[in-house]
Amino acid sequence: MSQSKEITVSKSKTPILALVILGIVFGMGLFVVGYDQGHLFSLALGESAYEDIYLHELTHDMRHAAGFPCH
Amino acid sequence: MKSALFLAIVLISGFTGGVIFGFINFVTTEPFLDSAIELENKALFESGEEKDGPEFRAEYNNYRGWQKSGMVLAGGILGMAIGSLFGIVFALSRKILPGKHEIQKTLLLSGMMWFTVFMIPFLKYSANPPTVGDPETVVLRSILYLSFIAISGLGAVGFYQIYKRLQSKKIAAFIGYAIFISIIFVIMPPNPDVVSAPMDLVNGFRMMSAFSVSVLWLVNALILGALWQKFKPDVENSDIRN
Repeated sequence: MSQSKEITVSKSKTPILALVILGIVFGMGLFVVGYDQGHLFSLALGESAYEDIYLHELTHDMRHAAGFPCH
Repeated sequence: MKSALFLAIVLISGFTGGVIFGFINFVTTEPFLDSAIELENKALFESGEEKDGPEFRAEYNNYRGWQKSGMVLAGGILGMAIGSLFGIVFALSRKILPGKHEIQKTLLLSGMMWFTVFMIPFLKYSANPPTVGDPETVVLRSILYLSFIAISGLGAVGFYQIYKRLQSKKIAAFIGYAIFISIIFVIMPPNPDVVSAPMDLVNGFRMMSAFSVSVLWLVNALILGALWQKFKPDVENSDIRN
């Protein structure tokens, strides 16, 4: 005769890898919105990215609205 | 804990809060940004650097259109970033947070983080619209702003450790943090830039900025609390058959 029962196990341990991923998202997101001055696009576009600052302009209004120093 | 579920609800909460934050800005901060940039334009016309006319306006509208179009996307990215920080702290502190419902816990933690890593730094280094800010000092201002956020946030964590160790008179930890952050507030150099823009514009922008960012913290906490309550990523069910 077989019997089925469900046991609920509560695990308190927080997965380190998940925390690391969230830490990376935090750092990257903060940099993109608050601090990039052409750095990211310069990886593909070279020095001209620092002149065009497309990402800076795209996040410009949010940068001000969220309180980051902009220019 | 179910890692994928944990990650998903943290990122969804942050992104959703950020997108709402972005949309809210169209009615809160955006009118002030337009007014401030128009002041910059006026200064350009008066100095003779630019001439107002259809050609200038076409280029200006194109430029402003690109800047405005990024508001919601940037809000989503910033929301995910702040939501991630919140998710980390929540996962590590959830068990000791008071409250039966997860939303009670997320709201309490959000209130504490909002106060320590947003409001206190905001009072010292308030948001400014365009026309305020010397490009020569932007690196210094960025360092000061980030440093104050880090000092305030880490200070709160440090005094929480003291709070845990205190057997009685736990209020001493709160008083200790208040004294600590007050000293830092006074010691940290002020924003080096002179505000020459009209103060009603600057103050109106600052109030709308503070309100909008506060909405982000609130919405993120509400959504994360609701999703955590529903999906319980910290609980694993296993069927054991005999």
